[in-house]
Amino acid sequence: MTSSRGKALLLWSAVLFSVATLSAPTLVVLGASFTAGNMIAFPPQGLSLRWYAAVAGASDLRQAFLRSLYVAAICTAVAVPVGTLAGIALARYRIRFGRTIQIYLLLPFTIPLIGSGIGLMLVFGKAGLIGQLWPVGIACCAINLPFMIWAVTGSVNALDPDLEYAAASCGAPPVQTFFLVTLPAVMPGVITGSLLMFILALNEFLVSLLLVDARIVTLPVQIYNSIRSIITPDLAAISVVFIAAAGLAIALLDRLVGLDIFLKSK
Amino acid sequence: MTPWRSTEAYPLSWRFFDAVEAVVARLWRPRFSRALPYMLILPAILITGLLVLGLIEIVDSSLRTLDTSTFRLSEDLSLANYRRALVEPLFRTITFRSLAGALIVTAVTLLLAFPYAYVMVRTRSGALRKALLVTLFLPFFIGQVVRAYGWLIILGSNGILNDALSAVGIGPFRLLYNYPAVLFGLVQYMLPFAVLMLAPAITAIPEEMESAAESLGANWMRSFIHVVLPLARPGLIGAGIVVFTLSLTDFAIPAILGGGSNDFIANAIYDQFFRTSDTGLGAALALLLVAIGSAAVGIVFALFGAGTLGLSRAGRP
Repeated sequence: MTSSRGKALLLWSAVLFSVATLSAPTLVVLGASFTAGNMIAFPPQGLSLRWYAAVAGASDLRQAFLRSLYVAAICTAVAVPVGTLAGIALARYRIRFGRTIQIYLLLPFTIPLIGSGIGLMLVFGKAGLIGQLWPVGIACCAINLPFMIWAVTGSVNALDPDLEYAAASCGAPPVQTFFLVTLPAVMPGVITGSLLMFILALNEFLVSLLLVDARIVTLPVQIYNSIRSIITPDLAAISVVFIAAAGLAIALLDRLVGLDIFLKSK
Repeated sequence: MTPWRSTEAYPLSWRFFDAVEAVVARLWRPRFSRALPYMLILPAILITGLLVLGLIEIVDSSLRTLDTSTFRLSEDLSLANYRRALVEPLFRTITFRSLAGALIVTAVTLLLAFPYAYVMVRTRSGALRKALLVTLFLPFFIGQVVRAYGWLIILGSNGILNDALSAVGIGPFRLLYNYPAVLFGLVQYMLPFAVLMLAPAITAIPEEMESAAESLGANWMRSFIHVVLPLARPGLIGAGIVVFTLSLTDFAIPAILGGGSNDFIANAIYDQFFRTSDTGLGAALALLLVAIGSAAVGIVFALFGAGTLGLSRAGRP
């Protein structure tokens, strides 16, 4: 009895420590955004929404946020068709050199981010694309594409190929079968993947930092540049945008596919 | 029959698909069908190819030395940058700091991630499992910069923790801009990755196996060491290598929580490009880091196969 109590005590103290460590920065940023004071202090100097008003009036922060949205939109718009087709092909067809292609497609995960970022900076620099925003979206797509492919292959593996044969034997031509049978069946994977791509591109910091110049900073880069000088509560208020986006993405993921999917053993 | 009625009998969407099928059928040749899978993968290969192009550019730059009088890269190629990267004491210090840091972070992260994943998988309460999952995903989705910003508010010299401590008459302590702060930030950053890689491995361990060991008289510690740990080993190694490479190559946490005096390799690379403008040396450092990172991931593949990241074909007969 005492031994199982000892086990529970040990497990729970570790879990509680982790929960506290994981949540502390988020909670503190949320709390700081509502402060009434000019400084972030503890205990907080009253509640107010003044810093949200300040952020709404600050055009540099607003524009940085819009740029981040634009980058995330480009990234997702490219990643969804590219990743979905690749995912279906990898899971569905016997491909010559399939294993080599899989390992190749995992390059974005195996190359350290700083390496990918510097490489893309050199490539885009040569092509004269530095200073534009859409290449940042393409870059975010390139570094996170395995997430999209992984999400789609997962749901293609769950799709019964007999459904496609059934559609064909009922007289459905190939394009119609693809759009009306295959695509709806892999939709959970496509949604999971596109949510991941969007949120990761919205947050992407290092590759953005390498690829933007001072005129087109994205929001994470803007926050990074500001916290190196002085920490004011308006940054907390704008950071709440990311917290809200993360919360929304998690709620959507949970509703559409269920978070438990990440616990399944393969 | 009015046109409207005929649309209803044969809906517009059917007409649309008929048109598409007709176009496809006209363009399609039977010999294409063998190429179809490759055509579907091609866009992904091209996008990933951007990273390969990037690596080629890095290799090219790394072979050119900086002429300090003109600030241009040399035309002729040499290995001088690699020699500098390997010999100069500054880079040796930074490399050692990053490697040691990544090892400590990996050990601490696994130590914390294992109980978390274990409780999350084994709990009978669906609500608790969901709460633990949300706690895990929220920081994962919020991004490094905002998280590091939170730590600045908590740990700063006028931060929450020091304010609270001075209220009870101790402190202030210097909690930021030192090595432990960087390692702590990295552990917090890595925890979700590690738990999400461990959870499937723990799910795969049948619970009966543990109760069997315990019913045969092993206490929980022994059943943990002799049953759970060996069975979870693939997950632990996979998670460990991912955590090790990600923390070894991280930029944001050392930059923000280290305050410039606790740089990791990625920060040194950034400085070569953006401070000293020595593209060649920066490229050589980047390539060495890519080599270390790829070696680590190569070990994962060699041990567990590419299926580790879920990209395996369904084992359908």
